[in-house]
Amino acid sequence: MNATACYFENWMEHENAEIARGLRRRDPDLLDRLIEQYQHRLLRYLLYLTGRRETAEDVFQETWVRVLERGAQYDGQHNFSTWLFAVARNLVIDLARRKKFASLDSMADDEGEPVQIAATGQTSAFDLLAVQEDSERVRNALAHIPAEYREALVLRFHEELSLEEISSVTGAPLGTIKSRIYRGLNTLMPRLKGARG
Amino acid sequence: MKPDAHERARQLVAWSDIASQSEQLWLRTHLRDCEACREYAQRTERLVQSLRTVPIAANRALVRATQARVRLRAEELKRRRERLWLVWMSCVLVGLTAAITTPLLWSGFAWLGRWAGVSNPVWQFGFVMFWIAPTIAASILFLAHGTHLADHNGRTQGS
Repeated sequence: MNATACYFENWMEHENAEIARGLRRRDPDLLDRLIEQYQHRLLRYLLYLTGRRETAEDVFQETWVRVLERGAQYDGQHNFSTWLFAVARNLVIDLARRKKFASLDSMADDEGEPVQIAATGQTSAFDLLAVQEDSERVRNALAHIPAEYREALVLRFHEELSLEEISSVTGAPLGTIKSRIYRGLNTLMPRLKGARG
Repeated sequence: MKPDAHERARQLVAWSDIASQSEQLWLRTHLRDCEACREYAQRTERLVQSLRTVPIAANRALVRATQARVRLRAEELKRRRERLWLVWMSCVLVGLTAAITTPLLWSGFAWLGRWAGVSNPVWQFGFVMFWIAPTIAASILFLAHGTHLADHNGRTQGS
């Protein structure tokens, strides 16, 4: 088990170093591969952060252009996903400032139609319906908790980032992140009573 | 049992990131003995499972559009870098040429001044004019052409 973990860790370090080298060269093939690899995770994070599909897709494209332009700043010491989410987050904050929103919550409340989330994967009609119902409930509940809690929960349980990585993405101290996750879960729990187990 | 032990157990459950084995052991023992915290842990697990059921996918069009945009930008940056490299190389070459030719020109102007029998300030003024004349001529040409006032569409500002 330890050997496997060690191998995986070495492989990740090697992979991150490769990505850092490729980004310094501004290798378009590498970027194509990274866009494919991180498309769902990045879009999911942006959807939860902005609350709007259109905004999320705009920021999604901007994020990759920024990754190309500022790729040399990625040091390869941390996970690429952590750096990617931090870049995306900064762009969302810039956007919120440009549009003069007081917070990310007000940004999600302001714009057009709420997010439409497409189901993926091949499942039976019954399973799909059940998952859609559950997803709908979770999505609605998440939309009604503060953005900072939502972000922490999505990064922890959807993207499976460690607490330290979440702290790195958001720039908030570790204690704050722990508090956001704990409070976020406690805020979400009463809203999701009866969720599928 | 201290009341903050329950709080601590629930926090550990929520963070799902227990570093030490002693903490894991403590949590397991606490959850075995405390029904309320055990129920909290079960509810948290169900909630986390529900969170993970939300399926979100980027569509192919978005991915392709992003890849195309990134490639286009990469080309732009490459062209800009090449242009900048040319500018830098030109600067270096101009600097080197100036460093080599200035002493020679200075000697040439001094010899010419002596040959023509003019005073030192006169040939030195001539040397300075020889140096800055191309710059002045280029500036006048650009001013006359209005190049520095043109925007991207080739129109001059204010017109």
